[in-house]
Amino acid sequence: MAEVKTFSPGGTKTSRFVPALGAIPVVILFVVPLALSLLFVLPSLVDVTGFVSLFEHPQFWGSLRLTLFTGVTSTVLALVLAIVIVAQGTSSAPLGHLLHEGVEKGQNPTYRPFSTPSWSRWPQIIHGAPDEVPSTPQAGTMLALPHLAFAIGLGFLIAPTGLLARLIANLFTGWTEPPQWQTVQDANGIGLIIALVLKETPFIVWAVASVLNREDVKRAFEGQRMVARSLGHGERAIWLKVLLPQVMPRIIWPLVAVFSYGMTVVDMALVIGPAQPPTLANLIWTDLNDGEVLANGRGAAGVLVLTGIIAALLGVAVALVKGAQPLLHNFYSSPAHNELKLAPSRPLWKIIKLIYLLVVFVLVLQSFSGLWPFPQLIAEQLSLKSWLRLLQDGKPLFTSLLLALATTATALLACLMWLENSSVKQDRIVLLACGLSLCLPPLLIAVGQYRLFLQLGLTGTATGLFLAHVLPVTAYVFIMLQGPYRAFDPRWRSVSDGVAASSWRFYFRIKLPLLKAPLLGAAAVGFAVSMAQFVTAQLAAAGRFSTLPMEAVTLASGSNRPLFATYALALMLLPLLVFLLASIFSRSRWSVA
Amino acid sequence: MLVLRGVSLSLNPSFPRRRESRLSTGSPVESLDSRLRGNDGMKLLLKYFSLEIAAGEIVTLMGPSGSGKSSLLSFIGGSLDPRFHATGDIILNGASLNDVPPNCRRVGRLFQDDLLFPHMTVGENLLFAVPRLPQPERLAMMRTALKRAELDGFEDRPPHTLSGGQRARVALMRTLTAKPEAILLDEPFNKLDAKLRGSVRDYTFAHIAERRIPALMVTHDRADAPRAGRVLAISDDGEVGDV
Repeated sequence: MAEVKTFSPGGTKTSRFVPALGAIPVVILFVVPLALSLLFVLPSLVDVTGFVSLFEHPQFWGSLRLTLFTGVTSTVLALVLAIVIVAQGTSSAPLGHLLHEGVEKGQNPTYRPFSTPSWSRWPQIIHGAPDEVPSTPQAGTMLALPHLAFAIGLGFLIAPTGLLARLIANLFTGWTEPPQWQTVQDANGIGLIIALVLKETPFIVWAVASVLNREDVKRAFEGQRMVARSLGHGERAIWLKVLLPQVMPRIIWPLVAVFSYGMTVVDMALVIGPAQPPTLANLIWTDLNDGEVLANGRGAAGVLVLTGIIAALLGVAVALVKGAQPLLHNFYSSPAHNELKLAPSRPLWKIIKLIYLLVVFVLVLQSFSGLWPFPQLIAEQLSLKSWLRLLQDGKPLFTSLLLALATTATALLACLMWLENSSVKQDRIVLLACGLSLCLPPLLIAVGQYRLFLQLGLTGTATGLFLAHVLPVTAYVFIMLQGPYRAFDPRWRSVSDGVAASSWRFYFRIKLPLLKAPLLGAAAVGFAVSMAQFVTAQLAAAGRFSTLPMEAVTLASGSNRPLFATYALALMLLPLLVFLLASIFSRSRWSVA
Repeated sequence: MLVLRGVSLSLNPSFPRRRESRLSTGSPVESLDSRLRGNDGMKLLLKYFSLEIAAGEIVTLMGPSGSGKSSLLSFIGGSLDPRFHATGDIILNGASLNDVPPNCRRVGRLFQDDLLFPHMTVGENLLFAVPRLPQPERLAMMRTALKRAELDGFEDRPPHTLSGGQRARVALMRTLTAKPEAILLDEPFNKLDAKLRGSVRDYTFAHIAERRIPALMVTHDRADAPRAGRVLAISDDGEVGDV
């Protein structure tokens, strides 16, 4: 019997023309809109009036200085902290456990490397637990918190009337008035830097850990560690001289993304960043929201200048690293010295975890608070008013939730269709698009997308809003799925063919179940990304729709603190809930020894 | 002289699900006792044995893969994977190594992969092993090692541009440059092709003999053992004995 199939999951038997069909959704939803958006930015390059009025803007230079200070400082600090954190845990081989320690206590022995200073425990200290690749849902808890919600919570923690000041007042100083702290919306952007550093450090640690947990890297590094040890070098020296130099080239793109984000972040800066002058990104943001053509042109010019500055600074960084090579290589080949000082057990990582917990805690306190005069630790009245209002004016909540579910489902389906119907080689096009959408400033894409949507009449429509969300979601989902999908052992397919199972049967009964964990992980990340969209979403919505982040940013300028906290919590809890669900459902039926 | 006294090695196949305390605490006697009772799922790989290796001697230990011979070397070097449990004393030149951290044991180790650090030049790989001394002396030592590896002028080359035999010689020189007091060879010729094997083998044994340090080599190939050297074998039930 002749077999006629239009779509055959499993790849090998598909006809030559089908791949193009299966690949279409990713192209239409993601690659083409991204390319067109970037294309639509180009005319601004020759818009001289835009640049002139930008440079004449009274706040431009102040804003530029602020952006340089906050962006560079936060990126450098986050990188240094991440390196120290990994060094403090370097006792054990791959640092995966560092990320899901506590989550999985029942299953993996938790190593407390330096807590008992007994050399006889060295073997355990060095190896750590085998099998400690963190699955994404477990690693993601900290990463899942949207930047905006985190910044809001951090504000409630460190502001002059925040929990920290109240604690100090009650325990030590007996203040009756809030202290004159410049911690939130301070003129130098210190609050913004703290928020960025706290949010990006776990991301860099995660990026490093995912390099260290790759099977091939793990094996190579394990051998190199043993050699270095037998040559007399201690664990921290090995991390800095042998492993880190090999890890750094592999985390370049995550670092570029961190830097680009820090230089251009809008929503976080609106909440916790300086206001007069604001960061350059926020100066631009005001212009972009201005309906007037001139202001809009100035905003677009600002985005281009900001992008140029980022590119130039990256160039400077590359030159610095190149110039420092002789020094670095002197360090790599420097002699071993006795490294007997015991590091305390990962204190930095614990402090960061504690801050995250406090941020969530203070948001909860604040969201239920009624009247809460200064030095008191707990509000005088507790109230459900804000939560009721969140549900009564439920539209933003509902819109965000619906968008997140719809875009995640769409992106998953589109990515699966692409992966099933194209080759690894073709993946490179999509990966390039993913890299661009992650590493280019969101503001740049937003400007182009806004103009594109205007042309197509999509501004202010549900379709436009959906497209604006699905673009970044697809980028993340694809990046999360591509590796595991392409690493899928083709022998499963042969086994399945051997028992004469159909392609569909193989796909749904074998392939998808085996890829369950990465699929759920990608879904959780996609959901979180959709929930957090602000810049492109706001421009696409054009005031017709409101989502949780838009609502939260609006509330930042108001005085209803409980409601502000409630929106931040809603923004935070939904992704967390999805991550929790993903991690529960991605457990395998039984653990394999 | 390297002495192994009353050494045994066992594998805990269910390690990841076990609490750490089951593995690392308790005196050896207790854990042996419970193992003999067989109620903790440990698989005994190497039964109690003792071994003395004199300075300048190369002892060969033969065994199939999975017999625990590499893990024995890890135990001596201080890098035993926590899935394994080992008992017994390691004594190097009269001092016990059991409680010495691995980087202070002065025990060199060669693997079947050369494991040259890919981000360092050949010269830097060697310098990495040179002890703390004034820099001119360190450079001189590195250059001597390079000369002995018959690789004059290769100082600034990245490791991946060297041939297999050249890399093997650099790896040996790197190990010896750290002035180890004993050396462990973990199937060091396994990955070399037949043509190179003989020359690298002779080169390795000659340089180790010159240092007058005890050496323990594990392999599954009888032909790797030096002529007239002592050869031991691991039997199917974990007995270590003469061939």
